[in-house]
Amino acid sequence: MKIEDVVCSFCGCLCDDLVVEVDGKKVVNVENGCTLANEKFMGDHRLETPIRRTGNGWEKISYEEAIAETAAILLDADRPLLYGWSGTFGEAQSVGVHLAEILGAVIDNTSTVCHGPSILAIQEVGHPGCTLGQVRNRADVVVYWGANPIDAHPRHMSRYTTYCDGFFLKDAFKDRKVIVVDVRETESSNVADEFVRVNPGGDYAVLSALRAIVRGKRDIIPPNVEGVSREQLFRVADICIAAKFGAIFFGLGLTMSPGKNKNIRNAIELTQELSRHTKFTISPMRGHWNVYGSNEVFTWITGYPYAVDFARGIAFYNPGETTSVDILRRGECDACLVVASDPGAHFPRACAEHLARIPTVQIDPHVNVTTHLARIQIPVGVAGIDAEGTAYRMDGVPLRTRRLYKGDYPDDQEVLRKIYEIVREAKG
Amino acid sequence: MRFLLNTGRTIAQGSFVERKNSPSYRMAAATICMNPVDMLEILVEEGEHVRVSSDAGVVVMKVIPDQGLPRGRVFVSLGPYANHIVSAETHGTGMPDFKLTPVSIEPTKDPVMPVGSLMGLCGGLPYED
Amino acid sequence: MAGLHIKNAFVIDPLSGVKGEIMDISIRDGKIVEDAPPGAEIIDAAGCLTLPGGIDSHSHVCGTKVNFGRYMSPEDMRAGRTARKGVMHVTSGYSVPTTFGNSYRYSTMGYTTILEGAMAPLEARHTHEEFTATPHQDMLANTLFDGNWSIMEAVKEKDDKRAAAVVAWTLSAVKGFAIKLTNPGGTEAWGWGEDMSSIHDQVPNFGVTPAEIISTMIRANELLHLPHSVHLHCNNLGVPGNYRTTLETIDLVPDLNKDRQSLYLTHAQFHSYGGTTWRDICSKSEEIARAVNNKPQVVMDMGQILFGRTTTMTADGPMEFKLYMLHHNKWSNHDVELETGSGIIPVYYGRKSLVNCVMWSIGLELALLTKNPWQCLLSTDSPNGAPFVKYPEIIALLMSRKFRDSERKMIDPRTEHLVPLFALDREMDWYEIAVMTRAAQAKALGITRIGKGQLSPGAEADVAIYPLRPDEIDPSADYQQVMAGFSRTLFTIKRGRVVARDGVVVVEGANSTIWTKANVPPAYDMGADPEFTRKFEQYYTVRMSNYPVQDVYLPRGVRIETEASL
Repeated sequence: MKIEDVVCSFCGCLCDDLVVEVDGKKVVNVENGCTLANEKFMGDHRLETPIRRTGNGWEKISYEEAIAETAAILLDADRPLLYGWSGTFGEAQSVGVHLAEILGAVIDNTSTVCHGPSILAIQEVGHPGCTLGQVRNRADVVVYWGANPIDAHPRHMSRYTTYCDGFFLKDAFKDRKVIVVDVRETESSNVADEFVRVNPGGDYAVLSALRAIVRGKRDIIPPNVEGVSREQLFRVADICIAAKFGAIFFGLGLTMSPGKNKNIRNAIELTQELSRHTKFTISPMRGHWNVYGSNEVFTWITGYPYAVDFARGIAFYNPGETTSVDILRRGECDACLVVASDPGAHFPRACAEHLARIPTVQIDPHVNVTTHLARIQIPVGVAGIDAEGTAYRMDGVPLRTRRLYKGDYPDDQEVLRKIYEIVREAKG
Repeated sequence: MRFLLNTGRTIAQGSFVERKNSPSYRMAAATICMNPVDMLEILVEEGEHVRVSSDAGVVVMKVIPDQGLPRGRVFVSLGPYANHIVSAETHGTGMPDFKLTPVSIEPTKDPVMPVGSLMGLCGGLPYED
Repeated sequence: MAGLHIKNAFVIDPLSGVKGEIMDISIRDGKIVEDAPPGAEIIDAAGCLTLPGGIDSHSHVCGTKVNFGRYMSPEDMRAGRTARKGVMHVTSGYSVPTTFGNSYRYSTMGYTTILEGAMAPLEARHTHEEFTATPHQDMLANTLFDGNWSIMEAVKEKDDKRAAAVVAWTLSAVKGFAIKLTNPGGTEAWGWGEDMSSIHDQVPNFGVTPAEIISTMIRANELLHLPHSVHLHCNNLGVPGNYRTTLETIDLVPDLNKDRQSLYLTHAQFHSYGGTTWRDICSKSEEIARAVNNKPQVVMDMGQILFGRTTTMTADGPMEFKLYMLHHNKWSNHDVELETGSGIIPVYYGRKSLVNCVMWSIGLELALLTKNPWQCLLSTDSPNGAPFVKYPEIIALLMSRKFRDSERKMIDPRTEHLVPLFALDREMDWYEIAVMTRAAQAKALGITRIGKGQLSPGAEADVAIYPLRPDEIDPSADYQQVMAGFSRTLFTIKRGRVVARDGVVVVEGANSTIWTKANVPPAYDMGADPEFTRKFEQYYTVRMSNYPVQDVYLPRGVRIETEASL
């Protein structure tokens, strides 16, 4: 059976034009997808049943047992951490937040190690953005800063920017200028009209220089700013000012580099400065599929996009303190529930060590790095393949992913609901 | 020799995220990209192993040349190998310094560990599927 | 479902012609009935003011921009935090509370129905997700068409029927309730960093004017026989001298519907400014109110501001950018492809700001100068003028000249030379307040047909009982008591069930979402229109099949169907 207009559940682009062929409980072909989508849909490497770590081995256990033991671990904890969420759909995330609320837990999502600093910057200066279709139909200048879409968001350029014609750009590849700013050459910088190579850690200074130029203060710019020549800075600023519609997309090259949230703040303020001259927007390249959805769901329930601590009864938010890496580094949490993400792979070693010390339960369809650190893993359906629900694209557009076939696994929401019911019963 | 370690997404890493016990994932996540002149300098050839050490730890990876990198800089796909040597300090931002870790690199004959064994070093127990 | 019997209630039910009588109200199966079933729970209202559940016909509570207002404002979240208690979830936020915060606070004020003022169709699913998490009110969504490309093309071709067909398809696809135009044409122009400065400007690249968009949409709305009229946020919001734009807009409005207005002008306060700059701004409420008094086919809501901190949020992206240039505080913007825009900035309305004092006066003047309370509804365009929790303060100001005079002493003394407010003697009575907070909303929205806004048998049993005894209170003197009373009901009853009591929400709640489906002849089904479909697939970044909001997002959807005259 061929299913059209399938929403991809890999990255934040949420491409929704895939054609997926399904044979029984197996995807046999994917059209229109990128390499990552093909791997995702064709992948056939599920953990088969819940597993539990014994003394020095692993055993298969039933869902009932796994769920009961997970609830017991969470109930027994003084300071549980519920982490992950980006790889699952909104309805499951919502149960997760309510579970955290009733437990008095900390709940955090993968923004904490991707665009958390962007959120901090937005909370300082706001965010002038737009949906991706605005860029596609209007933008004659596109800037990728600290982002490598060809590797991380393979169809971003063909669906929304470089190679994509729009209403006001009939020949996008010719009419649209692409600027890439990075510390290294990448596949993406190779296709740019202008590649700006910045010294590691130099983004803040380069952004400041561009802001000064846009403000008309060319005379204060030194000959070289963090590896970028004054001439190139002038050229880039002129391209931006002359744009009819400019769009900046930034990635982890800005959020993770020295300066972090201050880099993003500077980039947003550059956008605001450019908005006084022409139309300019800025958008984070959200990586992990529904990470933006986790920010949205957390926000409408708790008021905060990530790093929410319910220990005091109210929702408390203080990134740097209530963020997962900090909590794990301090050895503060005494149990961890990981849902739809892989902190074992993506957190520094010290965090992995603490996850191994405490009872860690993982709800995830696949064996991943965290599996080796966990006490229990509960496999579930994969959102967008054999589980369905709402996901938010990197620009905030919500889409409903579909279940392509009825599989053999419960979904995240179902498993979380059962845990929630046990916990609620116990908490009275 | 001292280097600055950068990490980030690669298409290979992304392709194997749902098969993290596989040799392909290990290959994607435990490969360090280096400027070819630097490789000459520390006397390693493509495919050989290096020991990468930072203040936070030590890990063995396989080296490949990358013309696009300036000298003194190395790049590793994000994942458990890079994170084995990234500090958990966030300077109050919640975000570790994933993009800029000072490291020293030297050739080694030691093997690149499987993911499970690496987590074994962290106190975990490898699960073989 | 068990019944409920409310006895000794001081009932004002304007739609049923009840203007303040002690009577009993019986409820069964969620409806008002003649006689309560045996064994019904009895509530003794003891002469307290009993009204149909409150209806907010313009508030920003759910959806993309509202949530972004929360997301970008941890300082606002911190300003209103409550812990989980009983059935109540954690809440955060003062001017942009979390969904449960909105729902509980509205409920304890006696509100049972809310219209979200602006939903971008492309992001409708988000609005509906938040509706589900706002469990104590029935929800409706104004759907934005101000910069809709297909609409502007139909306007250009002077094809009212095609415009109507696009509206019908879209409302049905996104489960929207009514047509909202926010700065028509201006949000498209903002896609290029521009704006409309009059209703006769041409929208760049589309060759139509705001006046043409508004007129076409008013006619299209009536071709579809939608329950509500076009809901308009005029061009030039917040610009000194904008009252002329507003008057010109009012002049456009034909009288096309015998049951309700043909145009709903929202947050009129923001559109009633004289002067030429912020330095010489003055009130033009008299001109606006006179125009509305002369045009029964126009209804407006106040858009009152109140002093203090709040967050402004609107689909009017260019206006928010102007505010940003003024305040230099944080600024967010979010343009939506082929449809509309939006912007957010935090603001502080100060008693020491002459401009803010003039704005404050204008809202009250509009209410006091509009002769017919059915034509001027109570609102703050929450949270733009103030968060809705301040409605009781507006009620008290409208009911008490004494209160207005005491406020006069607190504000910039120059204000009184620029506004007529302090010369107005009018003090509203309980009946007029009941009209302005529920009955007129129900009528204006066209939802009396589903039993909203009234307490006659057959109506939805949404009831608010306030700790106010109209026989004993003189609102003119006891305005503090009036304010306190409207802030917290004794009982809020939603669909026949007590949901809040003395300020505490007592059940988990299960709301409905009310939406509109206009049935059109096959020739006007845009879903099968080759040109519409082609453009959709070419210029949107989502596939047409992924655009409609699935039924699963409306667990208790109430569909109002109409038969279009196309």
